[in-house]
Amino acid sequence: MSEKVLIVDNISKRFGGLQATNQVSFHVNQNEILGIIGPNGAGKSTLFNLITGFYFIDSGAITYKGERIDGLTPDKICHKGITRTFQVARPFGGLSVADNILVACLPKSKKVSEARERVHEVLKIVGLEKKADALGADLTTLERKRLELGKALATNPEVLLLDEVMTGLKPAEMDEMMELIKELRKTKTIVVVEHVMRVIMNISDRIIVLDHGQKIAEGLPKEIAEDPIVIEAYLGRGTK
Amino acid sequence: MDLVLQIIISGLLLGGIYALISIGLNIIFGVIKIVNLAHGDFLMMAMYAAFFLFTLKGIDPFVGVFIIFPAFVLLGVFIFRVMIKPLLGTAETEVNTIIATAGLGFVLQNLALMLWKSDIRAMETSMTGQSYEFFGIMLSSGRTWAFIVCLIVALLLYYVLMYTKIGTHIRAVSQDTDAATLMGINVDKIYTLTFAIGIGLVGVAGAIIAPTYNMYPTIGLYFNTMAFIIVVLGGLGSFTGALIGGLIIGLVEAFAGVLASAELAQVFSLLIFLVILFIRPEGIMGKGARV
Amino acid sequence: MKPDKTPLILGILAVALALVYFLPLQIYVRHILILTLLYAFLGTGWNLMCGYAGRLSLGHSAFVAVGAYTSLLLFANFGITPWIGMLAGGVFAVIVMLLIAYPSFRFGVKGPYFTLGSIALAEIVHNLLIYFREYTGGSLGMSLPYQPTSLALFQFDGKEPYYIIILVFWLAAVFLTWKMERTRYYLEAIREDDDAAAALGISVNKNLIIAACISAFLVAIGGTFYVQYYRYIDPYSIAGFTLSLNIALVVVIGGSGTILGPTIGSFLIIPITEILRMSLGASMPGLHLFLYGILLILCIIFLPKGITSIPGIMRAKKAKKDNQLNQGAEGVL
Repeated sequence: MSEKVLIVDNISKRFGGLQATNQVSFHVNQNEILGIIGPNGAGKSTLFNLITGFYFIDSGAITYKGERIDGLTPDKICHKGITRTFQVARPFGGLSVADNILVACLPKSKKVSEARERVHEVLKIVGLEKKADALGADLTTLERKRLELGKALATNPEVLLLDEVMTGLKPAEMDEMMELIKELRKTKTIVVVEHVMRVIMNISDRIIVLDHGQKIAEGLPKEIAEDPIVIEAYLGRGTK
Repeated sequence: MDLVLQIIISGLLLGGIYALISIGLNIIFGVIKIVNLAHGDFLMMAMYAAFFLFTLKGIDPFVGVFIIFPAFVLLGVFIFRVMIKPLLGTAETEVNTIIATAGLGFVLQNLALMLWKSDIRAMETSMTGQSYEFFGIMLSSGRTWAFIVCLIVALLLYYVLMYTKIGTHIRAVSQDTDAATLMGINVDKIYTLTFAIGIGLVGVAGAIIAPTYNMYPTIGLYFNTMAFIIVVLGGLGSFTGALIGGLIIGLVEAFAGVLASAELAQVFSLLIFLVILFIRPEGIMGKGARV
Repeated sequence: MKPDKTPLILGILAVALALVYFLPLQIYVRHILILTLLYAFLGTGWNLMCGYAGRLSLGHSAFVAVGAYTSLLLFANFGITPWIGMLAGGVFAVIVMLLIAYPSFRFGVKGPYFTLGSIALAEIVHNLLIYFREYTGGSLGMSLPYQPTSLALFQFDGKEPYYIIILVFWLAAVFLTWKMERTRYYLEAIREDDDAAAALGISVNKNLIIAACISAFLVAIGGTFYVQYYRYIDPYSIAGFTLSLNIALVVVIGGSGTILGPTIGSFLIIPITEILRMSLGASMPGLHLFLYGILLILCIIFLPKGITSIPGIMRAKKAKKDNQLNQGAEGVL
């Protein structure tokens, strides 16, 4: 069943003199992994910020499961079912890892005790059970990324927006992460922003390419890999 | 019409004093990015210092300044090393420095209280009660000279910041500490220097205004409030902002003081302050961290 | 997860303090206990907004003053019992808090700006109290019309009833803090990173406002108690910066952002400084506050999260050490 779960319709966003997002349209199907790639400054993170309500769009519409969500605040959008991770992990530094996860579990749990029960499970999925008592601020960059993912998973999202989760991982760890994401796809819809090509090509069902705030290509991984426009955007003019 | 002009001039003179008082605070915030809640109490200390230099040694405050400035600079170095430096560089630096400087203010206030009791002191210098007449406008001489000193200090500071090497370093640090470090600037030294100068400037301000105000140990809070209002109004970290802010508040107080009472004038300034906080915390000139 | 020991500790503390009521104590000892519990109560209220949510207010005396003057004026002018006046004061304080908190949170006023705003608020209240001197007595303050012991009128000739009342207030405040487990976690997340908190579904403004309003309400009630106990208030002591800083100090030293931190801080500081004030206050005015200041500075530098953070620090250090040992055992990859 391939219904369109998230529809981004012709959205634009300007910051002062910079048109960060320029009439971008795409959709995400249920249980698919959509990859988003593009050179630095293309507007990938801005896109996430717009979808999750950290910025408001200037024009266009964002629809989730048939309902307009543009204009909603981030916490409401999370409750609707869309959770994002941050490109630079933002742990709650003064709280323990376990409490970080607990906090993420709470908004959608009826009771605190209920939320507590889920913490260990989430810690296991991201491999942080041994660090449960460590303070968020004391984690290594890698552990922070894991915690970031853990917090997102803890909110039980239907749509997961992952912003460069692979950065800094060793190849073996990347493989693990890719397997995890593919596992998650069974129950969730995932949008992945990435720079690491082999990852994107490997896990994405479809890919869209952004450059200077615009969507310049969309299609299957193979099509994208051979698209001259995409190659030019990444490597500059005059490249064959 | 004459009355209005008189009020405007008085307001501007007062504004100059306020600007002088807040320059030190502004520099510290602009460069080190911390809030010094003890600012007003340093001012109080400087006022007392000027008072005692005058009453015990007969040194006029405008001369005493040259003793107080270096003394306060040294004090600034000491305070920075002992109290501020250990707190820098963490996620809680902002909060911790506010609390620490609040504590410091307490210490200074109560030190003054213990040493000099709560009696109100006033200085009678050659300028007390004198005023100049300028085209029919009365200018209180104490305030006029304070205004002039303020201009001199502002110009000196401007010159140092814009045209000397050390000034450039300070501005660099205020804009981007990492880049400054990469350029070989010793950020720690600049911080120490900035803090020390900031305190030194408070010393100057205190000495200069001592003849114009009655002093008591808790007067610090009044000036603190004023200084913060001005600094936020003008733009935290903006040099010209502090001047403009001072002048505006001086005018506001002058008018409000005539039209209403002293307390309401304060309330009015405070309300303006709150509104600025809500609507434009960068202040009039502010764009974040520029000296 | 470790079992929550808080209710146990709280229970023991409450019982111990209740039993103290029956001991034959000197009047000044009772006074110190009352003052200690009062600050523990005020601190606990302050802690909700400032400790957990991290919005540092150094102007909470504004709300103490609102509570105190409201109940005092209602009683002095209309004979309304301070119990009702106390609730009215609480409501009024919440309104004042909303007036400043709502725009603050809405406009994202944080950190030092928020603190400065809170100081400004207290100064506004302070100045207004002086300005309306026909009603409030101005800077000379106002006395509570004396009534012999009467529960209905919240005045007692002896200290014991005051002790019980403040004990109950304190217990209620701490219990409330303990009960608000979910909100506490939300506030902590908001304190650490409010955008990240929002991304997880936490409604930042809503939770901040709740914390702020409860904080103002509790502290205002403390104000009424203050008036009924001391039978006299003046703008400088009740709306001044000193009181605001004292409240903050007690919490910071005990441990902000913890349930019992304010209480511990209060018991650590208030007795000592009150004794100092009583013995040296006349000859060396300000000595106890001078020491407060030094203590605060030392605490912030060496133990920024207060006394209650000591076990946590030890635990984290141990976790770090264990981790290093484990890595050592696994060898270098």
